[in-house]
Amino acid sequence: MAVKNRSKICLCISAAIMVIALVMSLTGNGINYGIDFAGGMSMQYDMGGEYNRADVEAILDTLNVGHYSVGQQGQTEINIRIRDINEDGVQAVQEGLEKALFEKYPAAKRSGDVSYVGPVAGATLLRNAFMSVAIASVLMLIYIAFRFDLNSGLAAVFGLIHDVLMMLSFMVLLRSFIQMNSSFIAAMLTIVGYSINNTIVIFDRIRENARKLPTAPRVDVVNVSIRECLGRTINTTLTTLMTIVALYVLGVDSIREFALPIIIGIVSGVYSANMINGYVWAVLEEKKRARKAAK
Amino acid sequence: MKKRKNSKTASIVKLAVVLVLTIVIGILGVTGMNLDGRGLYKLKSWLPTTDAANWPSALSLGLDLRGGVYVEYSAKAPEGSDVSFDSLMQGTINVITRRLTDKGFTEATVQRIGTDGIRVEIPDVDNPKAVLDLIGTPAKLEFKDAEGNLIMDGGMVQTAVGGFDSNDNDYVVQFRLTGEGAKKFAEATAANIGKSISIYLDDQLLIAPTVQAVIPDGSGVINGMGSQERAETIAAQIQSGALPLVLTQQKVDTVSATLGDDALTTSVTAAIIGLCLVMLLMIVRYRLNGVVASWALVIYIIVLFFLMAVIPGIQLTLPGLAGIVLGIGMAVDANVIIYERFNEEVRAGKTIKAAVRAGFKNAMSAILDANVTTVIAGIVLLVYGTGSIQGFAKTLLLGVVTSMLSAVLVTRFLMTNIANLGIKNTGLFVSAGKNKEVQ
Repeated sequence: MAVKNRSKICLCISAAIMVIALVMSLTGNGINYGIDFAGGMSMQYDMGGEYNRADVEAILDTLNVGHYSVGQQGQTEINIRIRDINEDGVQAVQEGLEKALFEKYPAAKRSGDVSYVGPVAGATLLRNAFMSVAIASVLMLIYIAFRFDLNSGLAAVFGLIHDVLMMLSFMVLLRSFIQMNSSFIAAMLTIVGYSINNTIVIFDRIRENARKLPTAPRVDVVNVSIRECLGRTINTTLTTLMTIVALYVLGVDSIREFALPIIIGIVSGVYSANMINGYVWAVLEEKKRARKAAK
Repeated sequence: MKKRKNSKTASIVKLAVVLVLTIVIGILGVTGMNLDGRGLYKLKSWLPTTDAANWPSALSLGLDLRGGVYVEYSAKAPEGSDVSFDSLMQGTINVITRRLTDKGFTEATVQRIGTDGIRVEIPDVDNPKAVLDLIGTPAKLEFKDAEGNLIMDGGMVQTAVGGFDSNDNDYVVQFRLTGEGAKKFAEATAANIGKSISIYLDDQLLIAPTVQAVIPDGSGVINGMGSQERAETIAAQIQSGALPLVLTQQKVDTVSATLGDDALTTSVTAAIIGLCLVMLLMIVRYRLNGVVASWALVIYIIVLFFLMAVIPGIQLTLPGLAGIVLGIGMAVDANVIIYERFNEEVRAGKTIKAAVRAGFKNAMSAILDANVTTVIAGIVLLVYGTGSIQGFAKTLLLGVVTSMLSAVLVTRFLMTNIANLGIKNTGLFVSAGKNKEVQ
């Protein structure tokens, strides 16, 4: 057996990614919260041709809207975000902006959603996101502990938390490319439910092989099981990735905001199922054995 | 020998029947023919160029695909109100619904979320601001005496609810007025005993009850409604002069129909490309079994869309559509688990028939566990999600259950019958060289 236990190196790689993301977050470069979480107002306009961003900013300055950002989308489209605004201000700002903007650029027109999210809604969403992942994790632990054993449940949930943290970390690392909106919650839960499939299929095999080889070191059992499942793991991952990547490549912005976290989650799920979870189980089992032997 | 031949013929017939059914229903779906004459099941829009308007009416589209306005309000009881929050909430929802339906937005939905949230979804709106104003604009409600003199307007109505009077054994409307309204109403009732006071909604006479006694404290009852429905309708109409709760906009989202169309078209294109890639991979990797998986996948998609059309309350949203596309990739997972086992058994020297049996037997527990975990996640999403996330959760749950049934039942049916054909050449299923990969 050339490689005995890759999990330590892999855990270090994962930890490094998470630490980088954490440091970025602490230094003010954290997750790029979309309007669903951050609150505020968002508008999209197609300027209909060449435009000067300073003009748009000048208009916003005269409207006294406080903190705003003007983002570019594609060739002629802009996305305007205004952070601190209450519901009464939304209409006034939109009317004022459009009056001045359409005067300056007669070819401009609204090209997308006008959204407003109050500060309470964002906070509720964040709380719900955290709650749902926590509840789903506990339910998974209970189910797997019931169907397999407690150590399998712990190892699987360890991997699951790893996957969710990786998704969050990559949302930080890719902050220039992607915003986090409410669909991220759906993406997280999908990964919580789906990426655990790889772990379960491998654990199913581990359970079978552990019975066949009751005295062998648990790490060896894990290695054999992972190798036996490899064909299945690769094929399933490929079929799922194919469809979701097609969705990402062709999709509109809101679909991409959903598809990219899923892609990250699927890759992270395969990685943790093959490189980490089984070994966590093996360590837990060896400890259990040692405790039994000590008695 | 004769018996075996018979079972072989039976299997050929069975496979042929399923093949013909799949093709016929698939074509019917794509060409958009009505299976039941009511447009309950057509799949016209699976063609990427077709616009959202042509989707079957039974398969309702979420706002994000159809275009429209989505608003979330948080509601607060007005100060000094002693009426239960739940009944005020119901009154508010009734009033908003009435204001919208009166103006022709019959497909708008108004829902309570959590304890103090109200979600309003109005499809097909081109001027969101006008609609939002409409929700907040009180209807013109006037109380007039028999001579036509104005007593007070709807702003002085605090609440009006439908109820049942057990003494009268009839349905009634109970209303409560604001302090100023109570004073005016006390004077008016005192002056009009035995005469009627008419209530006009937007200058239309709503109801003209006869004053039977002085109402001093602004808390009165209109009796003789006859039915619960009428009592609630009249109550909502009287209420429509003012919303019983103070609403604050929490979230406003407008989606243009073009944006929804784009999202739909690109997702459907992605679905078709993804589907083709998955089928290709399965056939290259698992040969004849891959063909079976592709076949089962087509059946899965047909069944899924049929179920989405017939089960009430399921809306196709953008994340939901993504869920279906993702589900196509996930649906073959069960097939992959079965086939990997099957291949192992064949390589171990078993016959095709025995390998099918062993493949299913050994794969079942893993398939079941894998799907149960996804169902758990889906249920959590359904409970904690709102709006389009719930749409995703519903399609995800439906997709998981359908895909498991199709993978297990359909695949088993097809594989068992193919095994019955007595194919001896295992190379049609497994390549001999693949053994190396396992070592």
